[in-house]
Amino acid sequence: MNAFNKYSYLMLLLPLPALAYADSGYAWRVATTALIFILLAASANLLTGVSGLMSLGHGAIYGLGAYASALLSTQCGLGAWLALPLAGAAASLIGFLVTLPTLRLVSIYFAVATLGIGEIIYVTLLNWVDLTRGPMGITDIPTLGGGGQGAIFWETLAITLACLYLIHRVMHSYYGNALRALREDDQCIQALGLSPFRLKSQVLLVSYFFAGIAGALWAHTTGYIAPDSFKFDQSVLILAMVVVGGLGSLPGAIIGAILLIALPEVLRPIGDYRMFTVGLILFLTILFRPKGLWPEAAALKLVRGWWGLREGWK
Amino acid sequence: MFDAFFFQQVINGLSQGLVYALMAIGFTLIFGVLNVVNFAHGELYMLGAFAGLLVIQAFAPPLFVVLLLVVAVGLVSGVLLERIAFRPLRRFADEASLKSKAIREATLLSSLAISIVVRELVSNLFGSNMQTIPQQYLLMTPITLGPLTFASGQFVIFGFALAMLLALQWFLFYTRSGLSVRAVASNLTGALHVGIDIQRTIVLTFMLGAALGAVSGFLVGLYTGNIFPAMGFGAGIKAFVAMVMGGLNSIPGAIVCALILGLSESIATEYIPQGWADLISYGLLLLTLLFFPNGIFGGRRERV
Repeated sequence: MNAFNKYSYLMLLLPLPALAYADSGYAWRVATTALIFILLAASANLLTGVSGLMSLGHGAIYGLGAYASALLSTQCGLGAWLALPLAGAAASLIGFLVTLPTLRLVSIYFAVATLGIGEIIYVTLLNWVDLTRGPMGITDIPTLGGGGQGAIFWETLAITLACLYLIHRVMHSYYGNALRALREDDQCIQALGLSPFRLKSQVLLVSYFFAGIAGALWAHTTGYIAPDSFKFDQSVLILAMVVVGGLGSLPGAIIGAILLIALPEVLRPIGDYRMFTVGLILFLTILFRPKGLWPEAAALKLVRGWWGLREGWK
Repeated sequence: MFDAFFFQQVINGLSQGLVYALMAIGFTLIFGVLNVVNFAHGELYMLGAFAGLLVIQAFAPPLFVVLLLVVAVGLVSGVLLERIAFRPLRRFADEASLKSKAIREATLLSSLAISIVVRELVSNLFGSNMQTIPQQYLLMTPITLGPLTFASGQFVIFGFALAMLLALQWFLFYTRSGLSVRAVASNLTGALHVGIDIQRTIVLTFMLGAALGAVSGFLVGLYTGNIFPAMGFGAGIKAFVAMVMGGLNSIPGAIVCALILGLSESIATEYIPQGWADLISYGLLLLTLLFFPNGIFGGRRERV
């Protein structure tokens, strides 16, 4: 794994010139979607990979962000740039309050409880017609800035990179290590004098904030949202990205998101097998590469190498 | 006071609850023995319905023959599911690793992945719309008793659920294979020490659970007239809620809670709009997980 150095992250930027060269609306659109899902996968990775709280309702939190941003900008007349962080905060707060009751549950019980929470949020978005216009969705959401699909892509890229940097700093800090310890053994964390409940609450707030930002980006880049985009399938897609890339590994989450967004686009000629491909890739990964494509250990080794800590890490 | 309309709602609720219960029986059986969530159970239910439909469309045999074929499909898909999604991840046979957090999450993910693959495959082969069922097979003949109306399917499902419950209890408590299933469920190492073939018992459990799921999917499809590839998800979630409320390893508990679930949903539609009634079951799930972590009917398993 010595081939990985700090430039390996930069390799992820390689598709950009090709994208600028192609300069078609379709390519920009796919790339923007990929960016949004990179951010989502990174936020889910913080929750599921690093802290071990398997979430099957992440798609609904993403929906909360999208709806918060859409409502703030269409009903309250806020600009897209102001609505974006507010939507993140709203998704974080509402999501946290809804998830709060389930924080004492562990492993699969937490997963199933979050599935229930995701469905509760979805049903609410679908049925609260006065606020969300129900199945019709919200139209005419203002876009981020002027310009065409290309400009929207560069703006999304800037926001996503900034968010990824923040997530990176959270994951690869002493705090991130405490979260990893929480994932492995919550009694051990208590013995160290840290509160598992507090750690879980904090990581929920942080992770949901970035999921909300991703939702807001989705709303402001497409201009139209409907509850159907935030169903259980999306949560599974996000979880698959995290698992395929590698639980607990940020570059893994990025690769997983790119793979699972791009592959169905490349395979488009074979028809409607989008979710089928996702399921198959997820299954094959669990079976043959359970630690993911870019495992956590390699990712940590890479990051610690940047700070000159490679010697002490064997 | 005898309000016929309200009473009719109660009847409909109970029969809806029976639908959930049919599904919950197989779900609870697999969870109780292996302590893993079988996320693909809803797809077994869907496969059963589609298998029955295909047989009807091809040969149009009597209902009894179709049921036998559906059972066969269920048995085979149970074996396949165990072989593909569960056995490869069960690398060590000791109790600690079988019940470890890692293996539970890995099998949860693998069964989830298999369920997506199967559902998408079926919906690409048959289209995601509802399938039309030949009229003579539908279990919707109205039967009027005084002011109340029943559908024939309600009696069929009730009879089937009762028969399954009794047969399963008899199997689990009075046959050798059933005893070995219970032994594996309660203590895996102990079962190994007394010479029970663990692998065989696990496969048997999967076959039983899958066959129950398949038959219930078929019967419910005939009763409601809705057979479509995504039909397993909703029923699977409801069955899961019933299982959690019932205490995870108690089949009678799961059935009672499934009835409560169906009843509360049906009565709730009296007071709140239809769309919101879906929230009832999720709300009950959260309340149960919070206030009765061992289930309302007291499972003895450590969970939280």
